[in-house]
Amino acid sequence: MSNYFNTLPLREKLNQLGVCDFMDSSEFLDGVNALKGKKLVIVGCGAQGLNQGLNLRDSGLDVSYTLRKEAIEGKRDSWKNATENNFNVGTYEELIPNADVVVNLTPDKQHTAVVNAIMPLMKQGATLLYSHGFNIVEEGMQVRKDITVIMVAPKCPGSEVRAEYVRGFGVPTLIAVHPENDPEGKGLLQAKAYCVGTGGHKAGVLRSSFVAEVKSDLMGEQTILCGLLQTGSILSFDKMVEKGIEPGYASKLVQYGVEVITEALKQGGITAMMDRLSNIAKLKAFEISEELKTIMRPLFEKHQDDIMSGEFSRIMMEDWAAGDKNLLAWRAATGETGFEKTPAGNVKIGEQEYFDNYTLMVAFVRAGVELAFETMVEAGIKPESAYYESLHETPLIANTIARKKLFEMNRVISDTAEYGCYLFDHACKPLLADFMTRIDTDLVGKNFNEGKDGAVDNRTLIAVNEAIRTHHVEIVGAELRKAMTAMKSIKTA
Amino acid sequence: MSEPFVHIANLTVKYQQKLVLQDLNWVINRHENWLLCGTSGSGKTTLAKAIAGLIPVYNNEIQLNFTLDTHLPAQVYYVANWYQFKDLEGGANFYYQQRYNSQATATTATVRVELNEFGKENNLEWDKLDHILSALGYAKVIDATLIQLSSGEHKKLQLVKAIWLKPQLLILDQPYNGLDTRSRQNLNVLLEEISAEGTQLIIVGNETELPATINRFAEIKDGVLQEISSESRKVNAAEILSKPVPAFLNQSAVPVSEEHIIRMIDVNITYSGKRVLKDINWEVISGEKWLLQGHNGSGKSTLLSLICGDHPQAYANNFHLFGNKRGSGESIWDIKKRIGLISPELHWYFDASATVWQTVASGFFDSSGLFCNPGSTKHAQVDELIGYFGLTAYQNTLMNVLPLSKQRLALLARTIIKNPEILILDEPCQGLDEQQTQHFNKLVDELCGYGTTLIYVGHFESQLPSCLEKRILLEHGEVKSIESILQSI
Repeated sequence: MSNYFNTLPLREKLNQLGVCDFMDSSEFLDGVNALKGKKLVIVGCGAQGLNQGLNLRDSGLDVSYTLRKEAIEGKRDSWKNATENNFNVGTYEELIPNADVVVNLTPDKQHTAVVNAIMPLMKQGATLLYSHGFNIVEEGMQVRKDITVIMVAPKCPGSEVRAEYVRGFGVPTLIAVHPENDPEGKGLLQAKAYCVGTGGHKAGVLRSSFVAEVKSDLMGEQTILCGLLQTGSILSFDKMVEKGIEPGYASKLVQYGVEVITEALKQGGITAMMDRLSNIAKLKAFEISEELKTIMRPLFEKHQDDIMSGEFSRIMMEDWAAGDKNLLAWRAATGETGFEKTPAGNVKIGEQEYFDNYTLMVAFVRAGVELAFETMVEAGIKPESAYYESLHETPLIANTIARKKLFEMNRVISDTAEYGCYLFDHACKPLLADFMTRIDTDLVGKNFNEGKDGAVDNRTLIAVNEAIRTHHVEIVGAELRKAMTAMKSIKTA
Repeated sequence: MSEPFVHIANLTVKYQQKLVLQDLNWVINRHENWLLCGTSGSGKTTLAKAIAGLIPVYNNEIQLNFTLDTHLPAQVYYVANWYQFKDLEGGANFYYQQRYNSQATATTATVRVELNEFGKENNLEWDKLDHILSALGYAKVIDATLIQLSSGEHKKLQLVKAIWLKPQLLILDQPYNGLDTRSRQNLNVLLEEISAEGTQLIIVGNETELPATINRFAEIKDGVLQEISSESRKVNAAEILSKPVPAFLNQSAVPVSEEHIIRMIDVNITYSGKRVLKDINWEVISGEKWLLQGHNGSGKSTLLSLICGDHPQAYANNFHLFGNKRGSGESIWDIKKRIGLISPELHWYFDASATVWQTVASGFFDSSGLFCNPGSTKHAQVDELIGYFGLTAYQNTLMNVLPLSKQRLALLARTIIKNPEILILDEPCQGLDEQQTQHFNKLVDELCGYGTTLIYVGHFESQLPSCLEKRILLEHGEVKSIESILQSI
């Protein structure tokens, strides 16, 4: 198998990268009808598998699970999840031949083995559904020509997919049809119906392509979402300890700060996040985030280039072949950082204090979101796709850090994201070494406004506000957020 | 005479710029046990929390003089009417159906672990606990995880901790809510016991079945506290629900038929080998009015969750709803459309960042929070019903800044807004005062007069609507009896 994207002529590369259509709710009026009475068989029953299946069944669809023989015989967690919620469970041989839609919700790394095992068992004209396009785009999986290949990718962890559905809402979702595998032209109808079945149609659906989803998803998770949050958290903690801030306080500020700060981002974009700062802190955050953008831009560009050329997946797959040697070593090293090993102190930190005492993180987030967005758009990814994979997901990842720090974040995200995150983090820290020597506790650990005169120059402030508010990511974001008005707000620690 | 235990002088509390308590004075002497009552929203909970130090008070207006002559901890312990537990990762983002799911890895601690930690923190002896657990019938849930507990069982967990702790001052906010009759009686016995050992009590609420040690009574009115006599504590509720029922509810939801709405044949619900419902056989015909009763943990909520499309194991049972076998292609939204539901769990997990207006309107769509524009007809109906419930002044207020009683009224309006075919009212009047409860039950009687089917859960015999005709009693997950209740009430 060879990288699918690299086999395409430039025209078709651009064409597929450019699939990006924010769908109107009238597109979903037919509900789940296109899948009604069809047999949906889900491969794998982890968090995404179980929760999507519960939603689909509650939407009136026929859902069962197929697991490897060893998982069934060993009564593993996936088997327990499925059987204890009264789903029918069977082996590939038992269930795949009758399936109308086979839903592959196994981890990326297993995709090639799983698809090779199930494809010969699938009936003529069946559909294969993915939640992520890595296997098709980066590994170049060739699927039998009579099979329809579609993607439905809820942009939230599995538990949220369920929680939002039972509240009567849903989570934002990407859908796509693989142009090489749509022999009957039914792919889009089925993808829409599946999306309704999981509740995604109520929260904003983006029509994308396998290519656009993979290239933007990889970029987002490596840079702003996981990579930069990890780098920023570790550097901030170390700086505070170096400058004599009490470690328990530092640990708590970093662990929960990123969640509180990005909650403002979720509600009202970079504008709302920056507006939570005082005028003088905002000017300072703007200034250092501009500096951060200049320092980090080449690194962001390198990540995007390696993703587009397939270089990133090549070296990651080498590591898969080497038994995850690098991944495991990096994971262990992350567990040993000072931030990870220092428990959050038993101090009360008010909601506003997270902004006032952690201005550095506000600057990191602004720089990271804007850079990731700009770099993706320059590489041919449409702004709406770039928004989902940068700004939109940042608060979701921040929630995982608040729960159990970086270890938790890296446990929740995919192995692919985790690998890319470490890659970024290791390159980014040395780049920022000089910058960090100039950072003091007024930007991280203490209230920035303390002991300062709050006066600002009107014209400077107006110009900075203008720059923040008219950035492309803000214009696109304001439009997309309208469809997600009902996203739940978080509780602060 | 020695110095008073609690001395409150000129206490003023504002909440979001609004005056809740003004120049309030209260002296609690040694050996006094108080009942603190007042209408919904009068500031009872605010005062209780201020004494417990959970609301900041600035000018030293509340003085507590703990005594050193006792082994009881020098502590005020407050048991909230409502309690939000956390999962193992510190989050509290649950949904009410979650306890019915089965997931291989536990996400919340068990009761045993929770009590163990509480005991360790406070240096309590584990063997003193058995007596409390058995009095409240709690020993059987000790290995359950927090997410699996019913609302009554959560309430009891908080009470168990408080009684085990025996603080010098114990404040209980509406402690009887959600408890069955026997548990209420046993709770009073336990409270009398710790009171005899020196714990002083403040019970907040308009309760009538009190422990005998309560010897002083106070009422908050217009932000001021007054002592009252035990007889004169009938509260004059605000004028609500005395207007005529809005016309759009004043009609039958569906043509009355003899259709089976619910048919359960040998229904079983099992979690990891433990059966919580056993061989349930039950039929409900359109238009019937049922009372569902049973002790805390007897399986009432689980039974109702099956009917409301909230339980995954419905698919594995021989169970018909509205004439269709569950799992024959209907969606849970098809089912919910026909049901008006209120329950402690629904209130507990409801999206409190919605406004009152959005909350009521969300009843049209069976969602927790409003996600679409309801259109002008429904808009007008929401306005009218909000007026009927006396909530017009609060319609743009977020739920999470309102007292529980007002939240509850908004949720009751949400329950009936779409004039559903079947009303499932699981302790609908929790947190309401007596008069509000009577008014609401009268409204239920009126709606049911137009042919609405009713399933009602209530622990207080004196607070039931009069239209109830049949009773199903659960015990340990089994149907103990099904009978006509015309003679028994």
